[in-house]
Amino acid sequence: MIKEVIENLPGLIHTVEVGATAQQGGTRSKVIKVGGENALPFLFKEGKIPNPPVIAYEIWDIKPADWPQALGYFYSDVWGDPLEWAEKVVKEYKADLLCLKLMGAHPELNRDIDEEAKLVENILKKVNVPLIIIGCGDDARDNLVLPLCSQVAKGERCLFGEVTQDNYKTLTAAVLADGHNIIAQSPIDINIAKQLNILISELGLELNRIVINPTVGALGYGLEYTYSIMERLRLAGLNQDKTVASPFIGFAGQESWRAKEARAPESEFPQWGKEGRRGYVWEMVTAATLLLAGTDILVMRHPQAVEKVKRYIEEFNKDKEGLCLL
Amino acid sequence: MEKLKVTFYPYNQTIEVEKGKTILSAAAAGGIYINSACGGNGICGRCKVILKKGVVSTKPSGMLSVKERENNYYLACLTTVQSDLEVEVPPESRLSFDNLSQEELSSQVKNFSKPTQQSSYKSSTAEAFKNLPLVFKLYLELPPPNLDDHISDLERLYRQIRMYHDIPIMQTGLANIRQLAETLRLADWKVTVTLGKRDGTTEIILIEPYDTSQRNYGLAFDIGTTTICGQLVNLNTKEVLSTKMIYNKQAVFGPDVITRIVYAQQDNGLEKLHQAATEGINEMIQKFIQEKNIDLNDITCILCSGNTTMIHLLLRLNPTYIRKEPYVPVANFIPAISAGEVGIKINPRGLLFCVPSVSSYVGGDAVAGVLACGMDKEKELCLLIDIGTNGELVLGNRDFLISCAASAGPAFEGSGVTSGMRATVGAIQKTRINSFTKKVEFSTIGGLKPCGICGSGYIDILAQMFKAGILDRTGKIINQKDWHIRDTQYGKEFVLVEKQDTAINADIVINEVDIENLKRAKAAIFAGASILLRHMGLDFKDVKKIFIAGGFGNYLDIQSAQIIGLLPDLEKERFIFVGNSSLYGARKILLSCADMDKAKEIACKITYFELSVEPGYMEEYIAALFFPHTDLSRFSNINI
Amino acid sequence: MALSGLEIYKLLPKTNCRKCGFPTCLAFAMQLAKKAVSLDQCPFLTPETKKILEESSLPPIRLITIKREDNTLEIGNESVMFRHEEKFYHPTGIGIILNDDLSDGQLNEILEMVKKLEFERVGQRLKIDLLAIRNRSMPERFLEVVEYVIKNTTLPLVYMSENPSILRQALKISPAGSSLIYRATAKNFMEFAQLSKDYKTPLVVSADNLEELSNLTKQFNQQEIEDLVLEVKSDSAAICLWQLTQIRRLALKKKERSLGYPCLVVVETKDKDLDALFATTYIAKYAGIVLLDLFQPEEILSILTLRQNIYTDPQRPLQIEPKLYPVGNAKDDSFVLVTTNFSLTYYTVLGEVEASKVPAYILSVNTEGMSVLTAWAAEKFTADTITEAIHKHNLKEIISRHRLIIPGYVAILSGDLEDKSGWQVIVGPKEAAGIPAFLKNLS
Repeated sequence: MIKEVIENLPGLIHTVEVGATAQQGGTRSKVIKVGGENALPFLFKEGKIPNPPVIAYEIWDIKPADWPQALGYFYSDVWGDPLEWAEKVVKEYKADLLCLKLMGAHPELNRDIDEEAKLVENILKKVNVPLIIIGCGDDARDNLVLPLCSQVAKGERCLFGEVTQDNYKTLTAAVLADGHNIIAQSPIDINIAKQLNILISELGLELNRIVINPTVGALGYGLEYTYSIMERLRLAGLNQDKTVASPFIGFAGQESWRAKEARAPESEFPQWGKEGRRGYVWEMVTAATLLLAGTDILVMRHPQAVEKVKRYIEEFNKDKEGLCLL
Repeated sequence: MEKLKVTFYPYNQTIEVEKGKTILSAAAAGGIYINSACGGNGICGRCKVILKKGVVSTKPSGMLSVKERENNYYLACLTTVQSDLEVEVPPESRLSFDNLSQEELSSQVKNFSKPTQQSSYKSSTAEAFKNLPLVFKLYLELPPPNLDDHISDLERLYRQIRMYHDIPIMQTGLANIRQLAETLRLADWKVTVTLGKRDGTTEIILIEPYDTSQRNYGLAFDIGTTTICGQLVNLNTKEVLSTKMIYNKQAVFGPDVITRIVYAQQDNGLEKLHQAATEGINEMIQKFIQEKNIDLNDITCILCSGNTTMIHLLLRLNPTYIRKEPYVPVANFIPAISAGEVGIKINPRGLLFCVPSVSSYVGGDAVAGVLACGMDKEKELCLLIDIGTNGELVLGNRDFLISCAASAGPAFEGSGVTSGMRATVGAIQKTRINSFTKKVEFSTIGGLKPCGICGSGYIDILAQMFKAGILDRTGKIINQKDWHIRDTQYGKEFVLVEKQDTAINADIVINEVDIENLKRAKAAIFAGASILLRHMGLDFKDVKKIFIAGGFGNYLDIQSAQIIGLLPDLEKERFIFVGNSSLYGARKILLSCADMDKAKEIACKITYFELSVEPGYMEEYIAALFFPHTDLSRFSNINI
Repeated sequence: MALSGLEIYKLLPKTNCRKCGFPTCLAFAMQLAKKAVSLDQCPFLTPETKKILEESSLPPIRLITIKREDNTLEIGNESVMFRHEEKFYHPTGIGIILNDDLSDGQLNEILEMVKKLEFERVGQRLKIDLLAIRNRSMPERFLEVVEYVIKNTTLPLVYMSENPSILRQALKISPAGSSLIYRATAKNFMEFAQLSKDYKTPLVVSADNLEELSNLTKQFNQQEIEDLVLEVKSDSAAICLWQLTQIRRLALKKKERSLGYPCLVVVETKDKDLDALFATTYIAKYAGIVLLDLFQPEEILSILTLRQNIYTDPQRPLQIEPKLYPVGNAKDDSFVLVTTNFSLTYYTVLGEVEASKVPAYILSVNTEGMSVLTAWAAEKFTADTITEAIHKHNLKEIISRHRLIIPGYVAILSGDLEDKSGWQVIVGPKEAAGIPAFLKNLS
């Protein structure tokens, strides 16, 4: 007599919302909810997984200096103008969520912070999907740009990022004041991820407004480290450790397109096959693996990769009922 | 090479050195010990001297402020002699060898100190010293030989001894045999023999005329990496006559075991380290005999407890392979040897014994500690934690014993931290932050004005700062008004005591770099203990008795230690403070051959566990780098 | 449940006699618990103790081996649900399906492509493990293809058919131990049992649900057939994932011996991209073998890389690539800070250098992931290894002013390093937190 091993885990991942509709004080057409699950990815029979993973399209405020031709194919007509880019991605590729990276704020490019804030304002007017806003990675500049953008976007419940253990106070204060949510980044370290969440929550931002970015290593470039850290964090969260029961965000696009395997032309590596397909396959395999570890928000670039990963998620979800009847 | 003269004030000593040698080495050559926590590597900034006259050449270090440089301060280790010099060694750079007051010493090495709570552990002096000490004297009145009883002098002696003690195998050195006939007849067949236990045999070390049996003294020494502590013991009455403590002079050659092993590989390095140890010990012995008016010849034995490297250096054994994979000491079980061979000056035929060690990194001091706590006889699970530089941990009971070294570093012994000092007179050992007056209340050892902070003082102040909201969980000082906090190049600094209230004419402070050091030390110990328990499939709550040893102070505030996450969250009653357990164990062994046998058994029984290759260790360590811990649920009972 | 070190210790003589080669019985017990040593090393174990220890160490999931010439595939014998608990031991076997209704030309083309599907990554050779020949047309054709494939390849084989007689003929011409038979069901049980016995070949068994699968394997066990592989059907992704998870849980946590076998999944959606994603999924989640109808290098390269990633040993420390890293606007006259290639050390130093706002270079030396002090004590971070790194990464070309800053903890290296490298050595602070002040003071 075979009795299945059902592991009903006692914890619950916090539900984080991105976007606010008119009723809630914003102007988004819908609210994206992530988290809320109490089971491991796709194991529908063991608990509730109310919110399927979502995918955000990544766009920049400036033309990216080193995105390869495989991506340029889709975006080179619009990446000179972030507003057009946003529009294309939402209208043509049916993006549910947008991730705007303010790379221009970096000290080497030094875009005016008021201009960046204005851009955020305009994007919010141009498209009505919920918005993720990421800084350039330079702490000093981000501490100037992001709070200003946070102010400008007040009421829209955006997801702002990223804070780290060495620099979290400024952005947390802004997010707290303007009603947004926050991305907490840690360097593939389970303790730092936890410590950072504790520090943020001790500043007054509730745990259910934090999304964890454990830092993604791409396929072949450290993916397994991210995978295991995520699995461990997710298991801890589902075993009632509230300080790490946060949804995850994975920058699959950004990391996978750095890989040689995603970019190198066939002429350089003939045994690797055609670069056109190779690139998006690299991105989508990275993304799918992250989903298996519990990623709730994927930030991706290649439309084909996004499409396939969406279908992959649907394939699992379509048998939700069937599985539960087994 | 040109020879130059360097005169050191306030010692008024002039030393001749070769041009180009550092001021620090010149001082060391002349027996002047300047503070050097980093062993002369230019990073601790402790060896500041003032150039009064002469030409030097120096290197930049980032350790001297602009003001200091303007006032001719130099780091002695980075500055070389280029002409005749006059150099002043300011007070803060002097290495001091002071004694503790009698009350501090007795509380330091008392059996089990019970500061504020009743410990349920009973100590019984009588029971511990029941057996014979390692060296004992016996007064004999031999029946003179006659025609019916004409056995040899030596056999006569042995026969008499055997009437008192059934000792099957005995030895006597040739020198003693040569003198035997004269001595016996001169003293009218009344002599005192000094018998020493040499592993399986007994040796007649001395044969003295008449009755000298009342004068039999021994020494128990704990040879620590940072401090050496010794006791003079009356082997007959078992009374402790005096206790002294000095800084280990080897510190000049390196602050920790590894740096000293490396130094020993240099030309003459081993010899210098050996001498630094023996000099220190001999000086202490001289002070003992002067103070207690004893004849050096009446000190017949010395028992040394120390970690494996310290014993190697003491005996001038090559320590090189201790630190090379697979980490092999020359010997763990040292046979009883003549103290003179090693350069220790007691009775010329006196014996030197060492507490057996377990492995490269767990030494006789841990074995002595186990003996002292009696955990090898306990039915319940016990844990011995040494909050010292090497951070030895021993887990077990009468069924098993397993040990590892957590390598905490000397922060809790006051070394490498700004206002740190040993637990001696003038050290702040208890603190309390008064949230109303915004002042730090404190008490010092000896009750006098403070000179610095010792380990237990640091544990208190960290806990207090955290409770008062001046410290965040990562150890960063939070700038709050009303508190005396200022910015320095070492991060923020919190002032505990202002200059005018101290005995050193400088503020007593703690800064973020100090806190980071202390945090790392406490994390290493807590993580080490966690991993050790996990390795055995056990948990802290399974441990019924936790013995705390170390030279960090005369007591420990358990709750403070728990607030910062140094000690686990368990009821206070489980913790027993044992002070210098290595010294206490050493004394037990000195006074009882049975305890020496037991020490050997314990050394054989302890399984050594290498922490650094354990897969989860790094992560457990990082998790412990948070106050009290990243996993707050492990400290759920601690109220702040 | 496997016994813990302490539990094993209690069964040992506790004499610390050292005959086993370890200093104490406890040390030996800890090694036994890790399965790092054999029971036989202790000459004083009682027969009862031996029995208890042996039983507790039987693998919960059977090991299945298929071997042909130099190519061996081992699957099964796993011990954990998550790689971070220990590691995953036997990488999923990847097999490419060749349908026998392909033309000779098509077949040749595919075999040519398959030959090129070998890649080198991080010092390992990645390639596929199996060729699966599937019967869709006539028996003669099947045998023709089998013969052709045997002649022209060296990989182990899977024969996919439910017809025992053609399988028997295929096995006759195959090298012993080189093939896996797919698939046995309750219907053809007797013939397949016979096949397995006659040719000593492992079988893939298939049923509609776990209960029936369990009954089927029990039946085979009664015939003394133990080399089995369980098929998990993949029509429904959610159900497939669930069943793979259940089989592993039942084997490991409930000691369910009837399901204690590795699993096989055939992945065939109509979309090649989705196939790659599902292959990825089942490799990560418990499959022992995945059979695919894919052979383009873009997809196979990523699948093999994913497999390599999932099956690495997580207990080896996190390392970064040891090389020269510029921080900020580092120029040829900037300082070079030397550190190890342990991730945490590197990131910590990086953070502090960035905070200092002083542009600099960080030279990460290969210390096999050890941190500064550990590496130094283990002689991996020495004047020699640092000098080697300077040469290896061409520092002389990149940096004009030859100055190195070394961590304060290894100040003792400075003299030796200056001699060996010819560079000026400056001793930095012991704590990374001291780096900003230090760099500012120096500038």
